[in-house]
Amino acid sequence: MLKIRGLRKQYGKQIAVDGVDLDVDRGETVVIMGPSGCGKSTLIRCINRLTEPDAGDILLDGQSILSLDDQSLRAFRRTVGFVFQQFNLIARLSVLDNVMFHLVLAGVPRVQAETRAKQALARVGLSGAENKNPANLSGGEQQRVGIARALASNPQLMLWDEPTASLDPILIGEVLDVMEELVRTTNTTSVIVTHEVGFALKVADRIILMDKGKIVEEGSPRAIFADPQSDVGKKYQRLIAS
Amino acid sequence: MFRFFRDGLYRDYIILILVTIIVGAAVSSGVAWAVDAYFGDTIQEMIGDNGEYDLILHIREASEEAAYRELERIAQQQYPGAVISKTISLAGQVNYLFGFPQEAKTVETFSRLPSIFNAVPGLNAYTVIVEPSVLVRGVHPSVSEVLQQRFNEIDGVSFAFNDGKNMLIVLESAEHSKTVMNEARRIIKEYQVLEIRFPMGFDVDVQTTGNEVMQLLSQEYPGTRLANVSSAEYGEELDALMKTLVEMRHFLLSYASKVKIKLEPQSRLVVGEQILVQGVSEQVPVTGQDAAPDHVMIEILEITGDQAQGMIVSGSVAANGGILTQPGYKYMSENKVGQLVGEVQIENERYRLNYAINESLRLLRELDDLSVEAATAVERADKVLTTFQEALMQLEVLQVQMQQLNKGLAENGVQSTSEQLIISLFLNGLLKNIAKSGSEAAAEFDLGELENLDVASMRSSLSNLAEQIGSIQEIDVQAIIDQITDIRDSLPELDDEEIGKSVHLVDNYIAGQVIPGERIQILVENGSIDEEKVEPLIRDQLQNQYLNIYSIAVGTVNPDTRTEVFRILKEVRATIAGILSIVLVGVFLMLDHATIFSTLKWFRANQKQPKHRLARFLNPIVIFGAVVGMTILVTTYSLSNASIPYVSMPMVAVIGTGLGVMIGMFSEKFSPVRADEIMAGLALGLSNAQIMHEIVIPDGRPGLLNLLNRTKQKF
Ligand SMILES: Nc1ncnc2c1ncn2[C@@H]1O[C@H](COP(=O)(O)OP(=O)(O)OP(=O)(O)O)[C@@H](O)[C@H]1O
Ligand SMILES: [Mg+2]
Repeated sequence: MLKIRGLRKQYGKQIAVDGVDLDVDRGETVVIMGPSGCGKSTLIRCINRLTEPDAGDILLDGQSILSLDDQSLRAFRRTVGFVFQQFNLIARLSVLDNVMFHLVLAGVPRVQAETRAKQALARVGLSGAENKNPANLSGGEQQRVGIARALASNPQLMLWDEPTASLDPILIGEVLDVMEELVRTTNTTSVIVTHEVGFALKVADRIILMDKGKIVEEGSPRAIFADPQSDVGKKYQRLIAS
Repeated sequence: MFRFFRDGLYRDYIILILVTIIVGAAVSSGVAWAVDAYFGDTIQEMIGDNGEYDLILHIREASEEAAYRELERIAQQQYPGAVISKTISLAGQVNYLFGFPQEAKTVETFSRLPSIFNAVPGLNAYTVIVEPSVLVRGVHPSVSEVLQQRFNEIDGVSFAFNDGKNMLIVLESAEHSKTVMNEARRIIKEYQVLEIRFPMGFDVDVQTTGNEVMQLLSQEYPGTRLANVSSAEYGEELDALMKTLVEMRHFLLSYASKVKIKLEPQSRLVVGEQILVQGVSEQVPVTGQDAAPDHVMIEILEITGDQAQGMIVSGSVAANGGILTQPGYKYMSENKVGQLVGEVQIENERYRLNYAINESLRLLRELDDLSVEAATAVERADKVLTTFQEALMQLEVLQVQMQQLNKGLAENGVQSTSEQLIISLFLNGLLKNIAKSGSEAAAEFDLGELENLDVASMRSSLSNLAEQIGSIQEIDVQAIIDQITDIRDSLPELDDEEIGKSVHLVDNYIAGQVIPGERIQILVENGSIDEEKVEPLIRDQLQNQYLNIYSIAVGTVNPDTRTEVFRILKEVRATIAGILSIVLVGVFLMLDHATIFSTLKWFRANQKQPKHRLARFLNPIVIFGAVVGMTILVTTYSLSNASIPYVSMPMVAVIGTGLGVMIGMFSEKFSPVRADEIMAGLALGLSNAQIMHEIVIPDGRPGLLNLLNRTKQKF
């Protein structure tokens, strides 16, 4: 379904993504792991062009995303759910509005949009919080609103950029539970960037290890942590063992 | 950058710019108009309706009641129908408006304003506000009468009258104002006063020098009529201290040693330069060598032909006294003696004064002695005269006896004794001798003649003389001597150096002040004289390179007070509008446009866009800001009829550009973007317009943009 070929992104002299090739099948859950600054976020943002890559190509069902015009790009983005590390909610809108406003702006009738938004909120366990202001929610709840917002547009592809990285340890669990539930009950294709090794072992069909902008190892969770080839893999193995 | 505006945003932005301009112009001109109206009403209140009042009388607050009573009396008794009204009070002063009845608004009334109101208690001053009128300020006294006559002849003029240095031309109606003003200006241009100002300290005979100047001018400008209208007075602006200082300078200079220099032909001296002479120094000055500290320094004050005058600024010639004549040398930098400049003659005025006083003292004492001597002499002469008279009488007796004796001799025959003969001869000889010493002419002595001597008148003149001598003796010569001695001793103990320094001090003090020295004013008619052209001519003619020539108008034409006030008000209105438009445009740029600039900057930094090479140096958003700022301000400024004094349209454009550049450069400071929300909007597939309408603008500051956005905004 998703084919990435020779993807490169450079910030000044800093090479963030250095020739990445990656294939993701429909319904597959791919977890990307690697040390901080290795280019995970850059890679995942390039997929819906929040970051414009310098070279390479990204194909979705054979269609190059990089050659889309503005309008098609927006249409494409509406089919991709993106969950941010910092939640990126619209501060002045209520929880419900946060989840439905992009649907309305995309042309979905308000009533229908509202129904879908409420369903999405129910799936992340936030029924009843519709009229609250995001600022009055806990971090975990805010991130669940973020997830609901992504789900509301029925995405064919979900991109997660470290959804729990900015949460208190005690709140991480509730978000991971929601994520696990989603991965199990839907067959949406997912690319997840995370540092949560345990979670990765549970949900990943395949794990990708990155270092210094390059993919250094990939394989099934069991295989990759049983006999890691790369330095990064070995570090994770030690982490699991301890 | 323009890609950002594609999906309909450009239309929104153009609307924003238009609304900014309209609101800006409306608010600035509206506020300015309100201020204008407010002050207009206030002025109306202050000076009444057009033509209602003729005077504002400024009266001390304390005398208010008494003054009002007197004004009422004037209104009832002298000018029935006159109107009085109290207007605003300011700074301890109440102001009354006074309007003469229509039939009393005549030249006679207005010409005697001071005498009409001189009995008003506490009257400080008054301002004439007759309407409709044209005001001519600063009318030169020499033409005031002529101008009054000529103004009277202008069409639409009722009459003109003098009000101090001003002249008011009262019009028949307001519509004549323009034409009368123009005509008055034209008339004033026919006259010109040429003022020749001499530097301080020059004594000029304004009459003869004035005539000399007029002669020169009539040669240069044949056909012009010229008149010497100088007043020898110092300018009125010269205050008492200045006058005293100038007098003091005069006194000091006249008391200082007179330094005259007979210049060598090749010596190029200028006023202010210093020369030196040997003075009482042991060291003879030699060209090229160092000057000795006790050489006498002289500053040149004046040069006429080959004669120069100066003042000693250091060193002394006191011991020398009287007149000193020595060669003078230029004093060069680094304390060197320069070229010989001429023969310097120094007259020590103080020495001469001292000498004169001492001489008179001596004379006085002698006079005293002399009078005593003279008195003794008269006394003696009187005694001599008495003795003489007694002697004369005895001689007479003697003569009678002798004649009898002679007779007896003759009668008694020829035989006269030898004794008798001898006596007779002796007597004749004696009488002859006496007569010879008295009167040479007397050939033959006659005692009768001797008796004819007017002994009485001699006696009376002698007694006269005695009386006079007596009165001289009565004069208390000693007191006079004491007085003169006192004067001599109280003369300031200044030497030339100190005088020089004092004169310098006075000069320095008054250098900054505008002090006309002596001045000559020439009235020019039928022609205009270019003062710059004649200045060198007059300088040469009068041999004075320091005089200055000014051309003075004999008056300046202004509209009447109300018109003037309203003109100023209009200026104020335009200025307020101008300042307001600048402030408002700044505020709008800050509130609204800064939001857009910040967003543009964020997109530029975060999206892949082909970047022009130039754009790396010149941020296109800053340029965009400059264009927007300039466009908005220039249009707003013009639409609100703004005009700030000394600020031209190009300057307004520069200000607009500056504001735009500033807001463009620091837009994030005024309106920061919420990058995470924009990022979410992008990820959710929102268009730029939707991001603006739903995220950026509602998050931005409240302003026009926010207001306009309300219709577009869905959430
Ligand atoms: N907008 C940007 N401008 C400049 N450099 C950037 C930018 N975004 C990322 N980088 C750099 O690119 C490299 C890769 O960054 P990236 O955020 O993709 O790493 P990451 O693997 O997501 O790290 P982390 O685990 O900390 O999120 C880093 O060195 C980072 O400093
Ligand atoms: Mg990251």
